[in-house]
Amino acid sequence: MLMVYLRARLPLLLCLLLLAVAAGYPLAVLFAQSVFPDILGGSLDGFGEAYRRILETPELPAMIRTSLAWAGAVTVVSWVFGIPCGYLLARTDLPGKLWARLSLLVPIMTPPYIAALSYILVMQEGGFADGLIGGLPEWLRLWFFSFWGVTLVMALASFGYVALAVEATLGSLPRRLEDAATLFGAGWVQRMRYVLLPLLLPAVFNSGLLVFLEALSNFGVPAVLGTRSNLPLLPAEIFYLITSWPADFALATSLSSLLCLFALVCMYGSRWLARLLGGGAFRPGEGALQPLGRWGKWAGWAFIGGLFLLSSVLPYVAMVLTSLVDSWAEAELTFTLRHYWALFEPGSRGLQALLTSLGLSLAAATICVLVGGYIAYVNVRSAGPLQRVLDGIALLPRVIPKIVMAVALILAWNAPWVPVDLYNTVWMLLLAYVVIYITDALNYANASLQRMGENLEHAASMLGAGRATVFTRIVLPRLRPALLAAWLTTFIVCMRELVASILLLPPGVDTTATFIFNQFEQGEIAIAMAMATVTILLSTVVLVVFQLRRRG
Amino acid sequence: MATFMQCKGLTKEFAGQRVLDGIDLKVNQGECVVLLGPSGCGKSTLLNVITGMLAADSGTLACRGRTLDDPANGIHVAMRERGFSMVFQDFSLWPHMTVSENVAFGLRMQRVNAPRRARRVQEVLDQVQMGAFRNRRPDQLSGGQQQRVAIARALAVQPDLMLLDEPLSALDARLREDLKHELARLLRETGLTAVYVTHDQAEAFTLADQVAVMNRGRIEQCGTPEVIYNEPRTQFVAEFLGASNLMPYRRNGSSIVIDDGVLDLPGNGALAAESGQCLVRREAICISSERCCSGDDLVELPATCEQTNFLGDRHEAFATLPNGRLIRGFADGAVHRGGAVHVRFPASAMRFLSD
Ligand SMILES: Nc1ncnc2c1ncn2[C@@H]1O[C@H](COP(=O)(O)OP(=O)(O)OP(=O)(O)O)[C@@H](O)[C@H]1O
Ligand SMILES: [Mg+2]
Repeated sequence: MLMVYLRARLPLLLCLLLLAVAAGYPLAVLFAQSVFPDILGGSLDGFGEAYRRILETPELPAMIRTSLAWAGAVTVVSWVFGIPCGYLLARTDLPGKLWARLSLLVPIMTPPYIAALSYILVMQEGGFADGLIGGLPEWLRLWFFSFWGVTLVMALASFGYVALAVEATLGSLPRRLEDAATLFGAGWVQRMRYVLLPLLLPAVFNSGLLVFLEALSNFGVPAVLGTRSNLPLLPAEIFYLITSWPADFALATSLSSLLCLFALVCMYGSRWLARLLGGGAFRPGEGALQPLGRWGKWAGWAFIGGLFLLSSVLPYVAMVLTSLVDSWAEAELTFTLRHYWALFEPGSRGLQALLTSLGLSLAAATICVLVGGYIAYVNVRSAGPLQRVLDGIALLPRVIPKIVMAVALILAWNAPWVPVDLYNTVWMLLLAYVVIYITDALNYANASLQRMGENLEHAASMLGAGRATVFTRIVLPRLRPALLAAWLTTFIVCMRELVASILLLPPGVDTTATFIFNQFEQGEIAIAMAMATVTILLSTVVLVVFQLRRRG
Repeated sequence: MATFMQCKGLTKEFAGQRVLDGIDLKVNQGECVVLLGPSGCGKSTLLNVITGMLAADSGTLACRGRTLDDPANGIHVAMRERGFSMVFQDFSLWPHMTVSENVAFGLRMQRVNAPRRARRVQEVLDQVQMGAFRNRRPDQLSGGQQQRVAIARALAVQPDLMLLDEPLSALDARLREDLKHELARLLRETGLTAVYVTHDQAEAFTLADQVAVMNRGRIEQCGTPEVIYNEPRTQFVAEFLGASNLMPYRRNGSSIVIDDGVLDLPGNGALAAESGQCLVRREAICISSERCCSGDDLVELPATCEQTNFLGDRHEAFATLPNGRLIRGFADGAVHRGGAVHVRFPASAMRFLSD
C-alpha cells in the first residue's frame, strides 16, 4: 500500500524535497538563529535577545523606519513617473510609441547599482556635472546626496514596471465602458474618477508592490548611494553586519527576519487591499485613443524624453565616457581604450571575473530552467495536500528578499552539521543563484502550462508512454518558448547579480558585479565602468540575438 | 403623433466604404422603432451616429426640433449632452461597481441626491426583477441577469430616447424569448421612445411600433410590422421577412403573365409595373394531393412533391411546377415524396413587386 502511494507521489515528493533542502532549510536555520542566537553552537540560550537588542539600540528602529519610508517614497515617485507614461502609451495618439516603449525598457534592463554608480560620477564633487556644466549648485548636490536623491535614482530604475503594467491594463480596457459613462453625461474627469481609475487600481497596486519590495530589499543602491548620502538602509546594514569583523550574525538574522516579515505583510496586505478597492474582470476590448493637440504631443514627449534622459542617457553617457577617457586635462578630453585592454588582458582579474560570471550564469540559467520547468509541471498537474505544500514552498523564492536568502544560505551551509564543504566554493554561489533566481522559470513555465490543456499528455499516456517520456517528449517541447524566455531572463539577471555574489564568493574570486563594486570602491573607477559597459553590452547582444532568432 | 427625432439623408463612410447611404428615418414620440437588417448593413453605425459616438459625414439629425448633427453647418452635439441612454450588445456594465452602483451612475451624473437616487434605483431594479441582486458585482451574475441590469441602468435616468443595439443577441434562445416579451412590456409601460437594433424578425415584430428594414446602408421600407410583412415594397424586404416564393412576371396588355406562362391573370395588369417579381408567402400556399372544387379566386397548379419537412405543428412541403420552379408551402393532408400534388393559393395573396 505504502509503496503504491509513494510511487504515485514520487514526482511530488521529489520536488518537495528539492525545494525544502534548497530554500526551506536555509530559511528555517535563519529564523531559528534570529530567535536563538547560539543555536548553531548547540545551545538555546539567549532567547529573543537579538530582537531585544534591535529595540534597545536607538539607531536600529530609526533605520528600519527610514528603510520603509524610503521604499514607500520610491513607490510613490515611480507611480508619479510611471502612471502618466502608461496613460500616454495606451490612451493617446502620441507619435512614436515604439520608441517611447523602448525608452522604458532601457532603465528596466539596467542594474540599479550601475545607474547609482554612474550618478555618483555625475553628481560628485569634480564629477561630470562640475566638469561639463561648470559648477553644480551646492544645494543640488546636497539634495542629491540625501533621502530624495537616492529615492530618485531608485525610482528612475523602477518606474518602467509601473508604466508597462498601467499601459497593459489601460490598453485592454474596452472603450464601451467609457462610452457608457459618457452617454450619461460624464465628462473626462468623471470618467477618470469613476471608471478608469478604479479599474486601474489593481495594476497600480501590483506594480507598486513590486517596486516597493524591490526597493526595500535592494542592496546595490543603498550600498552604493545610501552610504554616501548618510542614509543607512536595511539591506546595506545587514551586509555590513555580516562582512565587517566581528560578524554579528544574531543581529543580521533578526533584521533579515524582519525584512521577510515586511515583505510578506506587504504582499498579503496589498492583495487584500486590491480586492477591497475594486478591480473586477472585464473582457479585453479595443480602447479609445484620446487625441493630443500639438502642445499635448510636445508635453507628452517632453515628459517621456525627460525621464529617458534622467534614467538612461545620463547614466550611460557617464558610464561610457568614464571608461573611455584617458585624462581630463583642462576641458580637453583624450580618449583611450586602455581600460578595456586592461580588462581583457589574459590572466587579469577582470577577465577572470567575466569568465566566472559567464560560466555561473550559463549553468544557473540552465539548471533553473530545467528544475523550474519540472517543478512547475508537477505542481500544475497534481492536486491534494502535498501539492498545496509544494505550491506554498515554491512561493518562497518569489517573496523572500535576495539578501535574506543569501544570508540564510551562508548560515545553512556553514553549520557544524553540514558534511560537505560547499561554503567558500564557487558551487555555493551556483546554488544561491539557482535558489534565488528560479522564480522566473517557475513563473514562465506555470503560465505556459496553465494555458495548455492536459489532453496531449493523456493521449501519450494512453499510448503507453511513461511519466519520464511524457515529460521529455511532450511537455518539454511545448514548454520550449516559455523556458527559452525564462533562460534568457535568468541568464541576464545572473550576469549582473550583485548581492548573493558579494556575500557568498570565496576570497580571491570575483564576478562582474563584485568586480565593478570593488574596483569602484577602491577608486579604479575607469576600469569599473569599462566592466559595466562590457557586461551591459554582452547581455544586450545576447538579448538581441535571441529576439532575432525568434523572429527569423 | 409628434415627431420626436428625424434623420435626413445621413451618410457615413469608413475608408471609402459607404456604410450609411442616405438614411431617412422618423421616430414618433413614445414609439419603438426597430432597425432590422442583415449583418453588416450599418445598423450599429446608424445607432452610433444617433448617440453621437460617431459624427455623420452629411445629412441632418434633429431631435425635438433641436439639430444634433448637421456637418454642413458644422453642428455636432457631443454625446454626453444628448440625454440618450443605450443598452449595449455586450452589456458593458462597469465591472468594479455593484449592480446598484451601476444603475445609480447616470443619476449621480445628473446630481440627483442620495435618497432619491436610492429610491429610483430600487424602483428600476424591481421593474426588471433584479431587486434581490443589488449588491452583487456584474461578474457574479448570469448573462440574462447582466442584461437586465444593463436595461435598468439605461432606464434609471428616464432618458428622452433609449437606444438598444442587439441587446438580446448575446443570450441563448430561451432567455431571448423571455426577455423579449419583458422588454416589450417595459417599453409599453414606461412609454419610452426607443430605437432598437436587431437582425431577428420575431424580435422586431414583438417590439416594434414601426419596423425600418435596412439593407446596404439604406432604409428599404419603414412601416408597421403588418404593413412590412403584408405589403413589402422591395424584393429584399419580401425575402428578408418570412419564407416566400418569388416568380418573375411581365405585363402583357391588360393581363399578367407569370413565369413565362405558368399562369395568366387576365384583367389584373393595371395594378402592377411593367415587369418584376410576383410574391406569394409560404403560408398562403397549400399543397395537397387532392383537387379542390376550384373557387373564383383560387389558383391551382399541378406539381410534383419534392420533399416534406415536419415542423412540429404541421408539415412544410416543397413541390416543383412543370416548368421546374420550386414552390414552398404547407402540406394539406397526406403528401408523399414523388407523388402528384396540387399547389393552391388565393389570387389575392399575390403581390407584385417591381424590379
Ligand atoms: N470603425 C470602423 N471602421 C471601418 N469600417 C467599419 C467601422 N465600423 C463599421 N465598419 C463597417 O461598416 C459596415 C457596417 O457595420 P455595422 O457595425 O454598422 O453593421 P451592423 O449592421 O451593426 O452589423 P451586425 O449586425 O453584424 O452588428 C461593416 O461593413 C463594417 O465592416
Ligand atoms: Mg452591430
